[in-house]
Amino acid sequence: MNFEFTADQLELKNSAVRFAQKKLNGDIIARDKAGTFSKELWKACAEFGILSLPFSKSYGGSDCDIITTLLIMEGLGYGCKDSGLLFSINGQLWTVQMPIFHFGTPAQKTNYLSKLCSGEWIGANCMTEPSSGSDSFALSTTAKRDGDHYILNGSKTLITNAPIADLFLVFATIDKSKGFMGVTAFLVEKTFPGIIISKEIEKMGLKTSPMSEVIFEDCQVPLANRLGPEGNGATIFNEGIEWERSCMLASDVGVMERQLEECIKYAKIREQFKKPIGKFQAISHKIADMKVRLETARLILYKVAWLKQTQGRAGMEAAIAKLYLSESLIQSCLDAIQIHGGYGYTAEYEVERDLRDSISSTLYSGTSEIQKNIIAKYLGL
Amino acid sequence: MSPLTELTEYILREIAVEHGKESLESDENLLSQGLIDSMGILKLVSFIESNFGIKVDNEDIVPENFETLNDMSRFVEKKKNK
Repeated sequence: MNFEFTADQLELKNSAVRFAQKKLNGDIIARDKAGTFSKELWKACAEFGILSLPFSKSYGGSDCDIITTLLIMEGLGYGCKDSGLLFSINGQLWTVQMPIFHFGTPAQKTNYLSKLCSGEWIGANCMTEPSSGSDSFALSTTAKRDGDHYILNGSKTLITNAPIADLFLVFATIDKSKGFMGVTAFLVEKTFPGIIISKEIEKMGLKTSPMSEVIFEDCQVPLANRLGPEGNGATIFNEGIEWERSCMLASDVGVMERQLEECIKYAKIREQFKKPIGKFQAISHKIADMKVRLETARLILYKVAWLKQTQGRAGMEAAIAKLYLSESLIQSCLDAIQIHGGYGYTAEYEVERDLRDSISSTLYSGTSEIQKNIIAKYLGL
Repeated sequence: MSPLTELTEYILREIAVEHGKESLESDENLLSQGLIDSMGILKLVSFIESNFGIKVDNEDIVPENFETLNDMSRFVEKKKNK
């Protein structure tokens, strides 16, 4: 085995760190408090190339392999303190752009993927409904064929990017009797008649990533905007979510590394009982645990990236990565607060925001319990 | 053994048993009964690929190919003959 990256790969990662530190962190405390999404920063990320990394040059992409892409995302997470922005970017990359890239017609890729890669448009994945979360394919939103259109009716909730999105990847059933194979995917522009972006949802963390409900009332979608064949929606969704589970937390490996370094620094300068707190095993062992979690999380991330790059499918490994990285992230955030003591609880020290931002990681893209169900299923249970 | 027989035996053994089924008709709708769900299809696709030596593309996973045992058998035969 070879754990080395090339000089080019490392330079790309380091350039992402420098870009994020220089461009993405200004007024983050205020933006987090106000819950403000920054289109300016989104555009900056697009111009740097983040939104186009793994996609074909034919559609405005950069043809970057997945391992290098995740290395760059790790660098971005290390440098960027706006986890909400990164969450929005990751949501679009893996569950909107990737499905269009893999299942879209050439016209759909030209029309939509190019605009998403350039940052001109923002995308949102619409799956979750008020009555179907973990049991996602029990969705109720319907699509009925009517001449050269489909008519969509239903409502979606907890939709990341919805208030700012130009394009929605919507999952609806064309025939409930076909179960999950009735689910079909559609590309819905925000200007199509019958789509209503409802109230913005206030959240505990990731406050700079907007979220809202989306309602479809006799929403007209041209036939040309169906993504993939009728009944292929569940496969499209599963493919997108496998990418998300594999890749979304790469930036959080960077977050964990930044936290570790900040904790080491603080443990060396903060003195209590006439010596640095890092000299107490209660603190140093916590930091050692953070290091072990970081290294194991990184190995799992690189393994799943390698599998996606070389073999395509990695259902169980994606679930393992999602489960382990999200649980590690939350524990790392809790440790960072405990090491910083009372200061860690204050907004000024910027430690508490990471914890608030991390909590949803064991919920989105399938809860930790769902990831364990998937792993067990692959083990034949 | 024909693909239909192999598929019937596999689905009875690995999937339908959880639903208390002891036999399956070849034209029985497996989707409407929920016998094959979104996780079950992954196991089934994996079995089809390894057992029949064919590649199941994502675009192939549609009701026309997986609604009944007859549909699956026809799909496997078509892929094998390509």
